[in-house]
Amino acid sequence: MIFDKLKDEVNELLSRYPVKRSALLPLLYIAQREEGYVSEPAMKEIAKLLSLTPSQVYETVTFYSMYNLKPIGKFHVQVCRSLMCALVGSDNIVEWIQKNLNISSGQTTADRTFTLSVVECLGSCGTGPMMQVNDDYYERLTEEKVGQIFDDLKQKGSSSLKSGPFMFPQPTKS
Amino acid sequence: MSEHTTTGMVTVTIDDVTASVPKGTLVIEAARQLGVMIPHFCYHPKLAPDANCRMCLVEIEKMPRLQTSCSTQVTEGMVVRSSVPTVKQARKSVLDFILANHPLDCPVCDQGGRCDLQDFSHEYTASGTKFVELKRVFQKEYFSPVIETQMNRCVQCLRCVRYCDEVMDVRALAPAGRGTLTKIKSFGVHELDCEFCGGCVQICPVGAITSRLSMYEFRPWMLKRTESTCGYCGDGCQMTFQAKDNDLIEVNSTLGVGRNNGDLCSRGYFGYHANVHEDRLQSPMIRCDGELVEVPWEEALAVVAEKLTAIKSANGADAIGGLIASRCTNEDLYLFQKFMRVVIGTNQLDSSARYGHMNGIHALQRVQGTHRWSMSFDDLLSANAILTVGTNLTETNPITALKVKEAVKRRGAELITVEALEPAIGTISNIALLSTHHLPLAPDQFASGTIGLLKAVIQENLVDAELVAHAKDYIDAIKKQVDAISWTDIEARTGLTAEIFQDSAKVFTRAERAVILVGQGVLRSQGGYGMTLNLMDLLVLTGKLNRIGCGLAPLAEENNDQGSVEMGAVSELLPGGKDCRSREAQQSLEAAWGCSLPSGEEGTLMDMLGKAKRGILKAMIIVGENPIGSLPPDSGIEDAIGKLEFLVCQELFLTDTAKRADVIFPACSYAEKDGTFTSTEGHTQAVRKAIEPLGESRPDWEILSALSVMMDHPLEYESVKAIGKEMRDLMPGTRTLGPSPLPPRPCLDTLTQYLQEGYQDTLATRYCLPGMKATHTFVLNVGQSIFHSGKFSTRAKGLIQIQSQGVLSMHPEDAERLGLACGDGVCLENQLGQVKTTVKLSDRIPCGVLFFPEHFDQDIQRLFAVSVDNDTHVPYFKCAHVEVSKAS
Repeated sequence: MIFDKLKDEVNELLSRYPVKRSALLPLLYIAQREEGYVSEPAMKEIAKLLSLTPSQVYETVTFYSMYNLKPIGKFHVQVCRSLMCALVGSDNIVEWIQKNLNISSGQTTADRTFTLSVVECLGSCGTGPMMQVNDDYYERLTEEKVGQIFDDLKQKGSSSLKSGPFMFPQPTKS
Repeated sequence: MSEHTTTGMVTVTIDDVTASVPKGTLVIEAARQLGVMIPHFCYHPKLAPDANCRMCLVEIEKMPRLQTSCSTQVTEGMVVRSSVPTVKQARKSVLDFILANHPLDCPVCDQGGRCDLQDFSHEYTASGTKFVELKRVFQKEYFSPVIETQMNRCVQCLRCVRYCDEVMDVRALAPAGRGTLTKIKSFGVHELDCEFCGGCVQICPVGAITSRLSMYEFRPWMLKRTESTCGYCGDGCQMTFQAKDNDLIEVNSTLGVGRNNGDLCSRGYFGYHANVHEDRLQSPMIRCDGELVEVPWEEALAVVAEKLTAIKSANGADAIGGLIASRCTNEDLYLFQKFMRVVIGTNQLDSSARYGHMNGIHALQRVQGTHRWSMSFDDLLSANAILTVGTNLTETNPITALKVKEAVKRRGAELITVEALEPAIGTISNIALLSTHHLPLAPDQFASGTIGLLKAVIQENLVDAELVAHAKDYIDAIKKQVDAISWTDIEARTGLTAEIFQDSAKVFTRAERAVILVGQGVLRSQGGYGMTLNLMDLLVLTGKLNRIGCGLAPLAEENNDQGSVEMGAVSELLPGGKDCRSREAQQSLEAAWGCSLPSGEEGTLMDMLGKAKRGILKAMIIVGENPIGSLPPDSGIEDAIGKLEFLVCQELFLTDTAKRADVIFPACSYAEKDGTFTSTEGHTQAVRKAIEPLGESRPDWEILSALSVMMDHPLEYESVKAIGKEMRDLMPGTRTLGPSPLPPRPCLDTLTQYLQEGYQDTLATRYCLPGMKATHTFVLNVGQSIFHSGKFSTRAKGLIQIQSQGVLSMHPEDAERLGLACGDGVCLENQLGQVKTTVKLSDRIPCGVLFFPEHFDQDIQRLFAVSVDNDTHVPYFKCAHVEVSKAS
């Protein structure tokens, strides 16, 4: 029972909404944060918490590409392939990753470190090509940069090359 | 402004036809009323508009773009065009998008020939689609034993998902994924587990969801349609048998037809195979040297006629008794009681309405002088407050449950549920989740719950002012009774505080239209008659008994429980529900029948069994009823049947009782004969022959008629219609044509009599709390599963695939305490014996309660003691107290 140890967080979440069901997405996010993906027991548990049927939780999970129904690697690499990134070469980045990690989109490396997904626009069109690894954005990618990021992630668990989503207009440095 | 705006009507013009329709009508519905069919997939009159399929686009003057007619309400002066070129072009484009993915496998699709997509494609597109992309292909997935999904055919209108949620309140179906890749699934990789009402199959406009029971067996135009009435519960659903080559292929229901209005439950939709099961008896049998051997009809009839005549002349007519199942048609029931009263000449007759329904009838007759509800099924929908007591509604009367759901969800009725039910979400719907006031009780404490409500009414001064003025003695007498019972005692039995009773009583009293639904948990439980009378007191005290739209409704478990009462197939009532001791009733019946009625004493089921045990009753005619299967061994049923000199059974199957018979006549099922059933509200509806009788089986009335001829007292009818005519002449309320009869109003004389002194009898015994179980024991409750009805349904292959055996349901907390897991063997024990069974965890039932479905295992009945009601002679065997241990 993954939510047993998270009672306070769950209660705080539930208190935010006048309708219990509204807490569904954040709870799914917590479930994914805790286990790396949304497991069946987690869906049942959430259904119980929110007075929904498991089917209702399941349909919501399947609707959003951000929820994973299967276990994924330690780092979820999501590369944008929408128009803007495609114009500046996202297909080369995807190809490079596929070749170097030896996986195709939707797959996980044998050592369960990386999972590659090719996704639609992540809203960072001015800085393409870009990808999201777990919660962090990596922008203006080149093949060398991606290689560096992957090395950093493997060795240190994080990479200094990460950037937040740029605000528009970009905040002026003071 | 038109004159209509004040009357709630608006004028609308659709395709140059102008008419007035009620304000708020959707354009698509207004068009339908004007005879203009607007094509649609996602729209359904039962569901809230979703406007996702875009097929119903129309042009509306003064509105930009085309509008979806399923989600647009008509306004005054609206001009709608549904057949102009722009609209046709739009529909063609929508179909193009759908056909871009639809596989066009019509030749192997069961929907082919009655498919909306086929019809609209013929109408709007020349051929195929202009898209050249590959069609989406889903991998075939197993969905459920009785429902097949073929997702490639899905047009994603989501009618199934919305029906499952909005109408059924089950929410078992999920549209998984998004866009064209959405598919209808249950939960993850699991197969569907739900109420199996078949609604998704029926509501699917294409062949994406179909029934596996009839898969690949037919084309729609091969089927012979027969409109009939369902033979499972007392809801009396109208349905259509679809037959081919004298075999039942499927069952449908139609929107707008019957009380069910297009809805069915699992029994109705998937249970029809019970009628044509291979074990059906197909020729008469008589016992020769201890073995049952097949003989011709003439021989079997002659043996029975001779033997019954001999017993009658040697021991008198009262040595013969009759018992009939309430599953028979009214015509069968009517002829059965006439046969017993006239040909045999005895009042020793009873029907399976005795198992509980008689309690409701007697309570209604005693307080309000009617043998029917004084409200109609539709009054449930317009009720402001509904009180259910011990109904187990979803399982026992699924369509009544749909009305309650609709009343609460759509019309804002307040629902008070006094049920042995916990508000847990599960695979089947749960009315406790919809209730505004939920009073969960152990199934042996409904009496305490009822008394709690009455005490609250008295204590909170909720008694009707008019009643206070003229029935002070009555109120004082009840006040004295409830004052003697303390809230502490009630709380000890129910676990509920005075507040919840007071709140519920206030809600009930405040309601303009209040309805009480009484179920098997009351009618069949110890003290059922008293409890029902107490609930009538609740109506009287709150001043609702004689108010329109209010009333008490005992729910019938069997399809024709009400009919067997109205046909006089119970010993104390003559046809029309008249008291058999009333000289006036006797005289009018004697005049109609042209013969005298028997003068011997009445004999109910339990009386007859007692007499059989003492050797006084020598012979029994049992029609379609299986008392050995229904009654626990504690009733001494085996002994009673064993002592009979002669037993005749008219049966569909070789039941436990039929196995003991000396002669068995093969009867035919209700799918093979004409007649009528009377629903629980007292509405008589037609049953029509869908297929020819199997083998040599015959309708029950024909068998009785043939016997009467051979016993020199002919009750001859040229057809079932002639019996129907005789019935209707005697009882005008049983006609089937024309508008449904209005419910009877309470008889004021009877009510006055009840308020003056009628209430006094049994007052002390019914205002008395039931005993408490010992803390370490459980209340074992047998009752109905949603997938079965009696033992008949266990012959239906579809229902058996859904539920093939009975297991004991237990609350997870109890199981944890006892160290039990799902599937473990358990041992139940009380002073009557010890029974082993398997346990299943269910958070639907309260702690301390065990539930076992009554359809399968006879063994568990050994734990039940039978007690008989002093007033109504109803045998009670619904609850037992048992100890539970893990089986070694």
